[in-house]
Parts: sequence; structure tokens; C-alpha cells
Amino acid sequence: MAAVLEPYIYEGGIHKHGLILELLEDLGGFLVQKIPAATEVTLIMLIPDKDIHLMEELAIKLLGKITKLPLTGTEIAVVSPTLAYHHLPHSACDIAEFLRRGGANTNMIGLARGMGRRVALSGDYERKLINEHDIALFSFGTFSDCIINKKPKLFEGIDIPIVVTGAPDIKTEDIPNADMYIGGIGRVSHRLRKEPELEGLDKMNEMVSEMVGRVRKEIAKDPLAVLPARVMKEIKDQIPEIEHVLTPAPITIQLDGLRVKLPYDEFHKRVENIEFDEGPLLSEVAKVMPSKMKNYILIKIQRKSEVGFVI
Amino acid sequence: MGPLETFVVESTIPEEADQYKQIVSDAITDLVLAKAIEKIKVVVTPEETLFQMVVVLRSGMPPVKVSDFAQVGEGTFGESEVVIDIDNEAYLPQLLENLWEMCGRINVHQPERKTISVTCDNPLEHISEIEEMIIEDPQRTLQSKLVDMAIRATPEGFRVRYHSLNGNHFIFVATEDIMKKEWIEEAHKMLDELTGGEPSGSSS
Repeated sequence: MAAVLEPYIYEGGIHKHGLILELLEDLGGFLVQKIPAATEVTLIMLIPDKDIHLMEELAIKLLGKITKLPLTGTEIAVVSPTLAYHHLPHSACDIAEFLRRGGANTNMIGLARGMGRRVALSGDYERKLINEHDIALFSFGTFSDCIINKKPKLFEGIDIPIVVTGAPDIKTEDIPNADMYIGGIGRVSHRLRKEPELEGLDKMNEMVSEMVGRVRKEIAKDPLAVLPARVMKEIKDQIPEIEHVLTPAPITIQLDGLRVKLPYDEFHKRVENIEFDEGPLLSEVAKVMPSKMKNYILIKIQRKSEVGFVI
Repeated sequence: MGPLETFVVESTIPEEADQYKQIVSDAITDLVLAKAIEKIKVVVTPEETLFQMVVVLRSGMPPVKVSDFAQVGEGTFGESEVVIDIDNEAYLPQLLENLWEMCGRINVHQPERKTISVTCDNPLEHISEIEEMIIEDPQRTLQSKLVDMAIRATPEGFRVRYHSLNGNHFIFVATEDIMKKEWIEEAHKMLDELTGGEPSGSSS
């Protein structure tokens, strides 16, 4: 039985941070993202829960800080009705920024025709793109009538959990097809920095974490054939070209898969043929498909019930 | 009389109106319109997909002439030039542009930061002409800013719009359905209530 991995972030000096990486490897954890910035480094990692105290001790020795990051390993779509200045940069960007502080990888998606009441609609391509993520967060506005009666048609065809943000205080049950509603974050045209606004964003992170927890529990009932973090490590080891990809997260971990930012046509065969020490190839435990985002590769890992074993 | 004498935002649910007031207020701040607006009333009716806004502008913002911010005089004896000493540099770029157009770029010099000399044949004749030159018309920039503010404050999908600017009175109605006459009439009534029936001011 594989150890339960907990997401943590290490923030400290770049000096001797290799010790952290060595310990992580010894413990059987995974490095999700490494962000060096001048003399500082931020490491986002998954650590086996029984050995966290070892990591904490080392972090204290190196004068760094280790904190739990509940949203690590999730890719969240922040969907705003359009990309016009009515919705951006505030509040949609502020929402995305806060989710990233919680450890999530976010993608901002502005619908082409999501604005308005009667005329709001989403396209097939947009729906497919949103469905590639773990959670879709729709950022809506001020009026409860719009959120309850008109905007839910944008949720049609979305299969992943739907989180809705808006200004009014309404119940989740009142919004058809939404899985969670977070109030207090509506349309604003200034940066969210007043106390009640920041409180609202903190609450949002808490509630989104709760939603991630729900999804994780759901997955635990029928576990994944292989952990996404393990696949990430194998890709890094077996496809060295990934080191030359310049995006901030060349491999983005999702709750049940990964997005690999390499061109599909050129690399999908090699990704499919990734070998695990235990024997099977990646294509035997996961579906490798073209992503709707650019020409990236999307990997969705199959469940134990489908494959018959867990690596 | 402070800026924004009246600022009312109404909606079906009062709390939502308060939220929306923040949006309108941000739009006004972003475009630095607070001083130009005397009264503003916004009514948003989401159920009917309707946004109505009436604005009463402050009157009495005359155009800025050169004589308002500069002294225009004759140059040194024997030189045929007009010398302009400016007090407010904010208008300098526009002033230079106007002078270039009038006298040609080669004849306009700026020996010092706040001094401009214009070479011309009969300096005395040109002095009054330059003094009366209009550099900025706040009324005109105000109009375009006002329209921008209205569009920013409206919910995005409301693309069917009616607007009217009569003197100092601005009416803006937006919806995403077919515009109804009643809505426009309602907005006119709102304006009457806001002004208390006084006429629309002089400039247009």
C-alpha cells in the first residue's frame, strides 16, 4: 500500500536546498514544482505523511519554512464570462492569484460569449477545455437573479465539480447544477485588498480546498492505478526534453492526471511508452490524448477497477 | 458644494444596489469624473435586463485659452518674434502642437522650459490671435469620458443602448433585449426628479 502523500511548500534560501531534495527522494516523496528567485527558493512537494516531521526538522535547520498547501496537485479553471474589463483584471485575476497561493495551478478561461443574461452561452470547445481541469470556478457578479436564473446555462456540459463565486449571499442549492457557491466576491473594478474582500478570498480558498478534499475522497474509493506525481517523476527521468520547456509548470499535476506541455504529435508515442519499474507501460494504466490547450498532451490515469492493479 | 452632491444606485435588492454603487464609483474614480458630476442616479433592474443612468453635470467649465495660463508679449526689440511665458506646463504639448500648425515647426522655438518664442513677420498682429487660441475644451473630453464611464458601469451584456446628452444632462439606458420606449421615458422622468425640473443648462 502506497504511503499517503501530503502537499507542502518549502520557502527558504537557495543555499543547501539540495538537502531538502535529497531527503525528499529518500522518503519517497515527489517534487511538484521548484521556483528559484534570486537567493530564495520555493519548493512545492508531496511528502509521505508519516515522515513530515523529518522534513520539518531539516527545514528549521536550514532556516526555512514549511507549510501545508492544500490545493497542490490540482488544476483549476477560473472561468469568467468574457475577457472584457468588466471582469478582468479584477476580480477574476485576484481569485486566480489566491488559488495559486493555496498551491493550485490555475488557468484563466474567458468565454467568447458568456456575458449577459439571455445571450450568455458557451461553445463546445470551451466546454471541452474546461472539462480537462479538476475543478471549474465560475466568477460571477452582483445580482442573485442572474446567478440563480440565467448564468447556470453556462454549466451545461461541464462534468467536473463547479464552484461559483458571486457577491450576494445565496445558498448552493438555489443555483442549479452548481456544487458549491462562495459569496462575497462579486464584480469589482478595483484590486481586492480591503479586509472584507481578503476575508472573502481566504474563505474561498478554504471552501475550494474542501471541494478538492471531496474529489480526493471520491477518487480514494476506487484509487488511481498510478499516482500522478509518480508519472511526473518518470516523465522527467525518461523524457529529458521536458527540461527545455519554458512554461512555469511544464508538467501540471491534476487530481486524476497530468498535462504535459510538449507537442502531442512529436512526443505522444514516447509518453505512452514510459516504463515503470514494476513492468507496465504508461499507456496500459492511463489514456494519453491531445489536450484542447495548445498542442499539449493530456494524460488521464485509469482507476484500479479498470486496470485491475495499482502500481 | 462638494463633488457628487447626489449619488444614488437603486436595484430590486438593496444590498445588491450597494455593491453596484461600488462599481459605479470605481468607474467614476478611474476616469477622474468626480469633480465634473453633480448628481448621478443609477437604477439596475436585473429581472428586466435593464440599466438606467442619469447624470447632471456641473456647468461652467469654459474652454482653456492661452491667455489663461500664459503671458503673451513681444520679443526683444528688433527681433520679429512673439514670446510666450507659460505658468502651467500641463497645456504645453497641446500648445506646441497648435503653434506648429499655425506658424510651421521651424518658426517655433523653446529656449527655456517655460518660454516659447515664435518667429513671425508682424508680431503685434499675432499676439491677440495666440492669446485667444483654445488649447483644451473640457466639455469635449468630458463627453467622451462620460460615455466611457457609462459603458464601464453597465453590465457587460447590455449591448442595446440609448443615450442622450442635452446640455448638462446625460441619460443612458442599456439592455440586451429590444429597447422599450417606456424605459427611456422612465429615465427622462428620473432626470426630472433629479434636477427638480430645472432646465438643462446652456452649453451643448
